[in-house]
Amino acid sequence: MKNLLSKEFRLAASPLAYWFLLAALMTLLPGYPILMSAFFICFGVFHSFQNAREANDILYSVLLPLQKRDIVRAKFRFTCLIQMIGFLLCAILTAVRMTALSGAVPYTGNALMNANPVYLAFVLLIFTSFNVLFVGGFFKTGYKIGIPFLLYSIVAALLVTVAEVLPHLPKLTFLHDPAGARLGLQFGILLAAMLIYAVVTLLACRKAEQRFEKIDL
Amino acid sequence: MAILEVSGLRKQYPAFLLEDVSFTLERGRIMGLIGRNGAGKTTTLKSIFNLVHPDAGEIRIFDLPMPAEEREIKQRIGYAGGAVDYYKRKKLRDIVAVTRTFYENWDDAAYRKYADTFSLDEEKTPMQLSEGMRVKFSLTLAMSHRAELLILDEPTSGLDPVSRAELLDAFLFLKEQGVSILFSTHITTDLEKCADDITYLARGKQIASQPLDAFLSAHGGQSLEDIMVQYEKESLHEKLAE
Repeated sequence: MKNLLSKEFRLAASPLAYWFLLAALMTLLPGYPILMSAFFICFGVFHSFQNAREANDILYSVLLPLQKRDIVRAKFRFTCLIQMIGFLLCAILTAVRMTALSGAVPYTGNALMNANPVYLAFVLLIFTSFNVLFVGGFFKTGYKIGIPFLLYSIVAALLVTVAEVLPHLPKLTFLHDPAGARLGLQFGILLAAMLIYAVVTLLACRKAEQRFEKIDL
Repeated sequence: MAILEVSGLRKQYPAFLLEDVSFTLERGRIMGLIGRNGAGKTTTLKSIFNLVHPDAGEIRIFDLPMPAEEREIKQRIGYAGGAVDYYKRKKLRDIVAVTRTFYENWDDAAYRKYADTFSLDEEKTPMQLSEGMRVKFSLTLAMSHRAELLILDEPTSGLDPVSRAELLDAFLFLKEQGVSILFSTHITTDLEKCADDITYLARGKQIASQPLDAFLSAHGGQSLEDIMVQYEKESLHEKLAE
């Protein structure tokens, strides 16, 4: 699996997958729907899939002494690795906003989502939707990326909207709190999102393995 | 010793049926899989390599069942669908560096020998190579992991006569090293130059699978091309008469 993952980075990946990690910097933008950072991090991975498809990466891979399920696992691992780097960057910047920049003027009157553990939880939910709808959807055919990406985009847009609307509902304002208020509950939500990300991504990978196994190439 | 045994292979597509394909390839022999375009050659080769899923039939390679022993088998065989058609913008050096990590038997000395023999420039990308050079790169990759069986889909199509002759010479050299080769083609003169056996497919059905000499003798010493044309003409007449 190590060599297959290395193949992903050396031959299949698009440089955009790394450049779009910079979208994590959106975490610092005041007055902006910062969850778009997660969308753009996944957009970079989408470019890698597009790049790989145009380079006939799947054909090359199935000719190697591997089983088809190994190819699916490598794509999921590549995706998760990029997402984890993106998540780490978002988490570091969130910590900066919650501590050193907590009193900064642009953030004190911020009407849109603040960077806090709930924001990070939604980042993971967007990643999860990408893994299920795009990566999982890709392995229905091994080459179609348009419809899976469209479905992911719709769901990601819905998640961003939900994340922005919820804190404006009574009793849910703590979701928006930049630091301090009900931090324990915010971290609880983040923990739940981590669990959802891990379990659902694993299930999506298993499903994708079954789908890909049935495909004639 | 049988290297490859295919028996009762069947694959149904919405508009095409491949059925009852059975043949055996022995060690150190070259078999041509012959038939006109759309006869089922590629489907047969892809089924052998587990790229498509046959509806019925059994495939054994090195006496191991395919696909159950897919990893072990793929370590010992090379497949090339003609010219290299992947990572066209990556340097050959990078493709080789990654590919070699997957094979237990990768032989750098063999790779160097074939790359030099075929005059491959590792700094070039597949995109910068001619069709013939890309076929040679494909063969080089297959041979560098000491493949005992090569499965090649139309390797000579699109090549100029000199490149075709060079490739066929390479086949004969590999045969001398004990490598078995199964390659599909519709260019009958290629087979006459190097094949020991042929398997002939027409409209998804196997017409014959036997030593080339025996096949030619059974058809009154006609050339392969004449035999093929005769078969296909007959089938066209049958269709028109229906």
